[in-house]
Amino acid sequence: MSAALDDSDRQESIRMVRDSAAAVAPVGGDSKRIRDLRMQMPGYDPAVLRQMGELGWIGLRVPEAAGGAGLGLGEMGALAEELGGALAPEPLIPASLSATLLAAAGAPAELGRVLSGESLVLTAWQERADTLEAPGGREAARCFIPFAGGADAFLLPVREGGKLALYWQDAAGASLATEQTYDGGHHGTLQPAPARKLADDIGAVLDQALDDAALMTGFYLLGGAERAFAMTLDYLKTRMQFGKIIGTFQALQHRAADLKMQLALMRASLEAAAATVDAGATGDATHPAGVAARRAAISRAKTRAAEASMLINRQCVQLSGGIGYTDQYDVGLYLRKAMVLSNQFGSARLHRRRFIATAPETEE
Amino acid sequence: MDAIRIPPPAELDSLEDEQFRHVVRAFLHAHYPEELRNPPKRLHWSENKPWYFKLAEQGWLCPGWPKEHGGLGLSPSKLIILTEEYERYGVARTNDHGIVMLGPLVIKYGNAAQKQQFLPKILSGEHIWCQGYSEPNAGSDLAALRTEAVLDGDHYVVNGQKIWTTLAMDANWIFLLVRTDKNAKKQEGISFLLVDMKTPGITVRPIINLEYHDEFCETFFDNVRVPKENLVGTLNKGWDMAKALLGFERIFLGSPRQSGYALNRLKLLAERMGVFDDATFADQYTRLRLEFEDLKDLYETYVAKLKRGESLGPDVSMLKVIQTELFQKITDLMLEIAGENAGLLEPMEGNRNLNATGQFIQARPATIYGGSNEIQRNILSKNVLGMPG
Repeated sequence: MSAALDDSDRQESIRMVRDSAAAVAPVGGDSKRIRDLRMQMPGYDPAVLRQMGELGWIGLRVPEAAGGAGLGLGEMGALAEELGGALAPEPLIPASLSATLLAAAGAPAELGRVLSGESLVLTAWQERADTLEAPGGREAARCFIPFAGGADAFLLPVREGGKLALYWQDAAGASLATEQTYDGGHHGTLQPAPARKLADDIGAVLDQALDDAALMTGFYLLGGAERAFAMTLDYLKTRMQFGKIIGTFQALQHRAADLKMQLALMRASLEAAAATVDAGATGDATHPAGVAARRAAISRAKTRAAEASMLINRQCVQLSGGIGYTDQYDVGLYLRKAMVLSNQFGSARLHRRRFIATAPETEE
Repeated sequence: MDAIRIPPPAELDSLEDEQFRHVVRAFLHAHYPEELRNPPKRLHWSENKPWYFKLAEQGWLCPGWPKEHGGLGLSPSKLIILTEEYERYGVARTNDHGIVMLGPLVIKYGNAAQKQQFLPKILSGEHIWCQGYSEPNAGSDLAALRTEAVLDGDHYVVNGQKIWTTLAMDANWIFLLVRTDKNAKKQEGISFLLVDMKTPGITVRPIINLEYHDEFCETFFDNVRVPKENLVGTLNKGWDMAKALLGFERIFLGSPRQSGYALNRLKLLAERMGVFDDATFADQYTRLRLEFEDLKDLYETYVAKLKRGESLGPDVSMLKVIQTELFQKITDLMLEIAGENAGLLEPMEGNRNLNATGQFIQARPATIYGGSNEIQRNILSKNVLGMPG
């Protein structure tokens, strides 16, 4: 298969991805598993990550020639959406990002272990909060590495001359500090010690891979928002107060309708961005015009995903009342996840700025 | 500041307002435990009891109670100054349900024996109270409560379940709204009952909230026998009594200090994140700041009413809605500018002043508790605007 499928083939391919996701990560189906993994190290289940590897998910975007499935952002997005609905903590998006870099770097041995899910390799690119740029400082601490405590190794972009080289660093012996996140996972801060060079120039690939990760994070947020909204809708349709089902109150009906519209915009924007990139409508991915078109589409989608998911999750807690503020009720798990993910791979503020700097003018 | 003398309790109410403010500041500066300033979470009894006992020793524990019952007998305007100064200094709430809720109710509606039995024990810290109003199916519709008290000889036998009983695990007494007449209209069959938590048949189960904190509990009653003299006021008139206290709660929840605190933290976070250079942020911040100033002016009009000795009408609900929603808008913006720090469980860089997530999570229930904002809007549309239906 290839990223450039025709539309009906692509829809079929997306449907197959969703079916396979449901088996591993049933939407809203296993909150006990999610709860038990919280505040533990590594914060996810390595066996489930291996299972994801066996299903080909980590290499979904990796070209077939390199051992991946060679599928597009549409399929990967559908998968991320399913995982978001299930709140699966396994770091599939960061692992896929590393797989993309290893494929481009021509490191088949390392790539193989990542694709199988045996090893978790994380890309330590970030040097400050809220950015999509990797300065590649040789000495600069790398921060906000999701689930870093589970990593076997790190990929380090390092600026050499005008180019961004890629280095390997084993996790064993690395100086790594972790901080707990609100969803029960953690971020790591790594003191870099580049050990082995894998590639001389990874800049353009990393740039695109970070965009892909931003879009996938948006899809994950979509899945979560859909699920939290569905639970809240059930609640509005069954909860009695004042002798009535509270969903009969017009104020609440309108609020639910407003949230539905946000979900519709979120899905439309995310799926359109994925389709734009998959169809090659952005042209040559390394040509400035192609890069600008890709960035604009993805920044628009991530902006909507971040803002709408926070709005929807906040409102789902409010509409659930007191129970919504408890740890035992699943709706709050989605809010906590959105707090962690909405600013990952760029906040709405960053993506709005990037959109207006890159977007072509609207045609009337 | 250090030259200020702390006058005896009986003289406080006769001080000039500004002089009183300075006395409060000096007292906090001298006696409030530094490590308890601006705690990130609501404190438990084990943490805040030294401060409770310090206030008790000073005679400052119950500032709103009349002097003859052991309070400071402060005027509404001085009470507000006191609250402002406590909040400015970052004074934590104590286990204050006896002080704020039960005491005033017993003073107003209790008989002589009840006043004698209960008020001194609040003042001494021997009784720590919690509130048993809400139930799983009686939240916004509180009058639908079903926990029942049936007279059996000299005792009421209580069966049912309460929820959101704040800090019940720390309390040794609970005040309850219970159903004593199942046949009457729902507001007219409710009574107010005081229950010793050591009575057999009571089970308290903590509820972990979104902040990972056990501030709330569920409290279960299984054939709990309560002496009938523990009923306060008139049988089946408990609803009216409880409602009479709600006006105070709404002006308390409408105090702009909560938003003011959050706005200040937003500013510190924005400086740390370097976003004040961003014109968009500067505009967003300015809007919130202006709304905060407007809220303060509105709040002052209610304070002025209290100073004139007027009672507050249902329109005080406006304060609760505006304040809590402003608090949320401020903390939403904190998350927006915090980047990946918006996901951290602990304050960023170990600095309590940069606790975006803590503030954001604490702002969530503000629009739910104390009568949800949906209920407040119902009150405004029906009781203030006279909308039909």
